[in-house]
Amino acid sequence: MAEHVPASLVIALGQRTVQSVRETGYLAALFIEALYWLALGRWRRQPVRLSAIVRESMHVGVSAIPIVALASFATGMMLAIQGIYTLRSFGAESQVVMGIALSVTREFAPLITGIFVAGRSGSAIAARIGTMQISQEIDALRVIGINPVRYLVSPLLAAMLLTLPALTVLATVLGLGGGALYCAWGLSLPPEVFFDRSFDVLTTTDLTHGLLKSTVFAVIVTLIGAGNGFNVKAGAEGVGRATTRAVVLGCIGIILADMVFTFLTSR
Amino acid sequence: MEVHLDDRSPFRVVRLSGDVDLHSSPRARQAILDCLRAGSPVLVDLSGVSYMDSSGVASLVEGYQLARKTRVEFGLAAASAPVLNVLRLARLDQVFPIHPSVEDRLSRG
Amino acid sequence: MAAHDAAIEVEHLVAHYGSRKILDDVCFTAHQGEIMVIMGGSGSGKSTLLRHLLGLNHPTSGSIRLLGKDITRLDADQMYDLRKNMGVAFQGGALFNSMTVGENVELPLREHTRLDCNTIRIMSRMKLEVVNLSGFEDLMPAELSGGMIKRAALARAIVMDPRLLFFDEPSAGLDPVASAELDELILMLRDAMNMTIVVVTHELESAFKIADRITVLDHGRILMSDRAEAVRQSDHPRIRSLLDRTPRSDSVDPEAYLQRLTREIS
Repeated sequence: MAEHVPASLVIALGQRTVQSVRETGYLAALFIEALYWLALGRWRRQPVRLSAIVRESMHVGVSAIPIVALASFATGMMLAIQGIYTLRSFGAESQVVMGIALSVTREFAPLITGIFVAGRSGSAIAARIGTMQISQEIDALRVIGINPVRYLVSPLLAAMLLTLPALTVLATVLGLGGGALYCAWGLSLPPEVFFDRSFDVLTTTDLTHGLLKSTVFAVIVTLIGAGNGFNVKAGAEGVGRATTRAVVLGCIGIILADMVFTFLTSR
Repeated sequence: MEVHLDDRSPFRVVRLSGDVDLHSSPRARQAILDCLRAGSPVLVDLSGVSYMDSSGVASLVEGYQLARKTRVEFGLAAASAPVLNVLRLARLDQVFPIHPSVEDRLSRG
Repeated sequence: MAAHDAAIEVEHLVAHYGSRKILDDVCFTAHQGEIMVIMGGSGSGKSTLLRHLLGLNHPTSGSIRLLGKDITRLDADQMYDLRKNMGVAFQGGALFNSMTVGENVELPLREHTRLDCNTIRIMSRMKLEVVNLSGFEDLMPAELSGGMIKRAALARAIVMDPRLLFFDEPSAGLDPVASAELDELILMLRDAMNMTIVVVTHELESAFKIADRITVLDHGRILMSDRAEAVRQSDHPRIRSLLDRTPRSDSVDPEAYLQRLTREIS
């Protein structure tokens, strides 16, 4: 068996595995350090400044509103179109409201928000930190006595943890709105009836479920973006690679975490 | 650093001594600005200063600026070599009125 | 020159990058108020040595004492306190691109002190005056020329009046006039503030103009660390070839050479 597999492949696989484990460990350490400065920075003469958190919140959260709003509205509408089309063959198109309400709140709103923020901000974070790494700005921070994780990652993490759940709530409302609009047209179902029925089936657990997910996504996007930025070694090409990697790994990370989370909470 | 205030009519003399550095210069600044805000002309006696960093110099600059705005006299007296060096670095020796000593300024009325 | 107490003492410093030895038993001393130039060609290990002096890399073994404190043994808090006495001007300036020149220069003060806002602003403008960049504080780093970026980086490095100043390749990428101005500035800073200044460079002319002492690095080893005059008159062949700008022509050790070419090939 073994002789059919080229040795180089096994070695490459082994190296890949070691590297992945090392990277995961690195990201975990980064996470703990970022939280540490958020919690204790004030007592270690390295406070995480509120102004920095607000600034990052504007970048990652507020300016993502239009795109997230549009995407979640379209997704809600798409679910309604698809749901009515599928359920019509069973003559059960009136059940579409329940389907939309649950899947938007528990699944699509946090997922769409996470993916879009990963695409917008994950790459931007990696590019910014990567550029700072190659221009020695990170070294400059360190020699001035400013911890780069405290200065760059902690405010970002806080901003993500604040804005991603907020964006998710917005995405939920607009996703339901998109569904309601299509149902009003396709099923002649008045929007207020759509929302009444939605709130009948939805529980607070469904909403907290979606919000919890979004906090996990916030951590994933921040860490993968920042981690790839810090690990840029050489030149502009390295920054390009890091940004691509941050987006791809960020999206994959979100989808995998979503799968695990859904598996654990839907049983 | 020690700050000592003295009334040598018409001047208020702010006598600084020791090291004027990042930690102590805010006290020097406060003393100088307080005297100026009270409306009296100020002489800063630097004879006892062993070391002054740029936060100390910045405090003097701020004092001089306030004095000019409120049109009262502001001068430095008895600047030692280390202080002069720091002033010279930013060419501020050409900006401040620097007197050889407090007595020298007072004797000129 | 003032008191001759040692500001920088490096003893038996060994550093590796992966399995490659970059620094091998490096020892030298720089006294307070002295300008020490670390000289060497590319690949001599001078940048690595600087990174170790700045506490950015950890050595394999050996000690680095800055102002009497061994930075290889300091904890984060002690290092933080020591950093207030260290200023660094990086080769490319390393100004923060998202901030104006003024904000860059003010940053160390904002992080380390609780001085009044006006005091901070006056201090940073004074330092911009010193480096001849008055009136440029509202520009962004991207709007400055190479020489201006270096001078702004120098202003940021000295804004806390540090006792130790490190300057990486001050003349690299500058025209002769701009680099001569920087040399003058370095001399002026030492004279006015009695700073200990470490300059890493491969520019001979600038090195001899400013140096009190010169440390010559070659392949990670110290060839010589002595007064500038002594280095100029040295008859060490490698130093001579550096000074006379002749390409190196050391004899080949066949055994070691073959070993290098065939390493990790079975």
